[in-house]
Amino acid sequence: MTDPTAEFFGELSERGHEPLLEKASGTLRFDLVDGKRTDRWLVTVRKGDVGVSRRNMRADCVIRTNRALFDGLASGKVNMMAAVLRGAMGVEGAVELLVLFQRLFPGPPRSRSWRHTAGYARRQA
Amino acid sequence: MSAPLVQILDGNTFVVSDSSGDIEASLTDPTGLFSFDTRFLSKWVLTVNGQRLNPLSVDDLQYFETRFFLVPGTGTVYIDAKLSVIRQRAVGDGFHEELTILNHDAKPVDLVVRVEAGCDFADLFEVKDALEKKGRYYTRVKDGRLLLGYERETFKRETAISASAPARLDKNGLTFKVRVEPHGDWTTDLNVVTAHGAGGTYVRPKYTRGARRARPSMELSLERWLAEAPRLECETDALRTTYRRSLVDLAALRFSPPVAGGRSLPAAGLPWFMTMFGRDSIFTSLQALPFTPELAATTLRALGSWQGSRVDDFRDEDPGRILHEMRYGEMTAFEERPHSPYYGCADATPLYVVLLDEYERWTGDRKLVRELEHEARAALNWIDEYADLLGTGYIWYQRRNEKTGLENQCWKDSWDSISFRDGRLPGFPRATCELQGYAYDAKMRGARLARLVWKDPALADRLEKEAADLKRRFNRDFWVSDGEYFALALDPDGNKVDALASNNGHLLWSGIVEKSKAKALAGHLLGPRLFSGWGVRTLAAGEGRYNPIGYHVGTVWPFDNSFIAWGLRQYGFKEEAAEIAAGILDAAEFFQGRLPEAFGGYDRPQTKYPVQYPTACSPQAWSTGTPLLLLRTMLGLEPHGEHLVVDPALPGSIGHLELLDIPGRWGRIDAFGRGRVDVGGKRSPRR
Repeated sequence: MTDPTAEFFGELSERGHEPLLEKASGTLRFDLVDGKRTDRWLVTVRKGDVGVSRRNMRADCVIRTNRALFDGLASGKVNMMAAVLRGAMGVEGAVELLVLFQRLFPGPPRSRSWRHTAGYARRQA
Repeated sequence: MSAPLVQILDGNTFVVSDSSGDIEASLTDPTGLFSFDTRFLSKWVLTVNGQRLNPLSVDDLQYFETRFFLVPGTGTVYIDAKLSVIRQRAVGDGFHEELTILNHDAKPVDLVVRVEAGCDFADLFEVKDALEKKGRYYTRVKDGRLLLGYERETFKRETAISASAPARLDKNGLTFKVRVEPHGDWTTDLNVVTAHGAGGTYVRPKYTRGARRARPSMELSLERWLAEAPRLECETDALRTTYRRSLVDLAALRFSPPVAGGRSLPAAGLPWFMTMFGRDSIFTSLQALPFTPELAATTLRALGSWQGSRVDDFRDEDPGRILHEMRYGEMTAFEERPHSPYYGCADATPLYVVLLDEYERWTGDRKLVRELEHEARAALNWIDEYADLLGTGYIWYQRRNEKTGLENQCWKDSWDSISFRDGRLPGFPRATCELQGYAYDAKMRGARLARLVWKDPALADRLEKEAADLKRRFNRDFWVSDGEYFALALDPDGNKVDALASNNGHLLWSGIVEKSKAKALAGHLLGPRLFSGWGVRTLAAGEGRYNPIGYHVGTVWPFDNSFIAWGLRQYGFKEEAAEIAAGILDAAEFFQGRLPEAFGGYDRPQTKYPVQYPTACSPQAWSTGTPLLLLRTMLGLEPHGEHLVVDPALPGSIGHLELLDIPGRWGRIDAFGRGRVDVGGKRSPRR
């Protein structure tokens, strides 16, 4: 069975550095509720250097949602901002960290830019 | 609407009521208490002994506060004023209302005072489009508060209403049974709180009884905002009025999005467009740069944080793309609208780089340019990698969200704005001409920043080479030789969409125009087909779709004109720029200094005054910024290294003009100018 959440954090941890987070410094904790269980992922960012752990500690920004929704974010099926506005995701603390962080979530699996769409074969000027 | 509407606001929370202070909204009627694009109160009606009240006067005390003087009874000529009623209302996290009833009689009076309350929790988009709600309403009376709520799955919005005086609460409002002694008064506080919403949860409104000082959500109060802006000295009262109006309106248009840490950027318009817009925020920041450079810094940071990072068809998002519009309402939350944020505009991304460079030229703030290096590079990359839909080396646009995305992703975004001379509309994708100008300018300015700040001469060389190539191709592919101007756009087959439009002025501003062609453009812009006497029309008279009151096909847009004037100056057409500035500033006089979004394209001698185009929003940010950019243009203010060059070319009607304490990398500098012929200005550095 695939686990988009674990894959997402696993890949982030392996990259170690993320250019999209070079402006960010701080910690984000994702509390993912799955029935009675709560999985925690702690992301530490220092000017783009990223560390991921499962520690449960205070963070600058705490995000609380259910596990299924985060799987959706990690696989591009759910949009973060819309989820926050729906009340499906709770955010406390430094919102600006989350705004920078959400750039790491992929787009919808079926979305294609025009350049990569059939029928838009590249024409040379 | 028969009764005039009264608006007060605090950020994106605002109240629109009738002149009695009452709110009685239908789904399509734009009155109510709104916050974060959701209506939190759609009914708020005061009666005394079952009677509605009649307004004697309304005092707009401050932008966040208003006072209604009322008497019982409506519709009669003679009003027996034994009673008067005062409602004083201040908006912030909901609103606070002080309700006072005065008895002018020698006898005591027993009254039943009733406030009917209700809410439809409409999304702003629903108010515009009259759509049905999908969730469930609830009403509760609990702990002395009336709770009006709306729920849809995890989405919840709630309004809490309470009073300081003893009241009987029911699900439809509050009732007070009061006795007012002879020549006495009775009073209560009414608190309406946006208890649960996208902006957070609140327990009480921002203001309480007796609180009379503004508590702006931003760092700067209005007083300090005005004090820190340059001072204008001139001979005409009208220009002084216009300048002050612009600064005050710009202050009211400041919006502090959650990512900005209390700093503010210009929202697009009051009250319906009180949110971040890529294009509007950037253009307004450019206009205001010599006056309030901090707006540009916040705009760049906030738009940078939300820069696109993935391909998302619904939001028309691409990596590097700068957002078009952000919204916080229910339809956005449930992805019935794509504004979370929506990215469908083709100009904000190159303009982002233009603003970053212009900001550095004025302020010398290289720290921000370093901080936003990644975003600027991603924006430049978007131009070539994602915007060139046909691989022809131009920016093209076509929405991928066919249901709720925007068809026209340039500033002239109405359905019929881009047309051939004969009125035909081209297919998609479209490459409008000004987009190519912005792309050219972005590359040139990106090259400057790459060399100066990012220390990447290879990137600078590449961008300059690309820019030169783009300029050469553009001057060939877009030039309408039998008319001597640039086509409005190319259609998907590469045909020139050959109507003559104001976009030619933006091309001058961008610098993409070959010198040999500039004179012909200036001739058109000031010629009888485009210039009305007040300003340059969006579309030239004589074109198939020309209509002097057509939104983008003949009206005059003050903002458009301010950039056209700037463009004319950049190519050395000082007098032409001054003529446009004079026309627009003359028009501003007719609107008490507050330029509308657009006015009719009728010839000036025909109507004698500018005919306002009816729009819902006033003030509009880039109209507000227009007099500021025109002042810059007339004075010929241009940063040059560490100095500010002043090269005035003023219309004769303005005479003497001084702009004092212009902020920038030089500290503060004064600029002086006189008359049309006096082009040799002086400057006196200070500090």
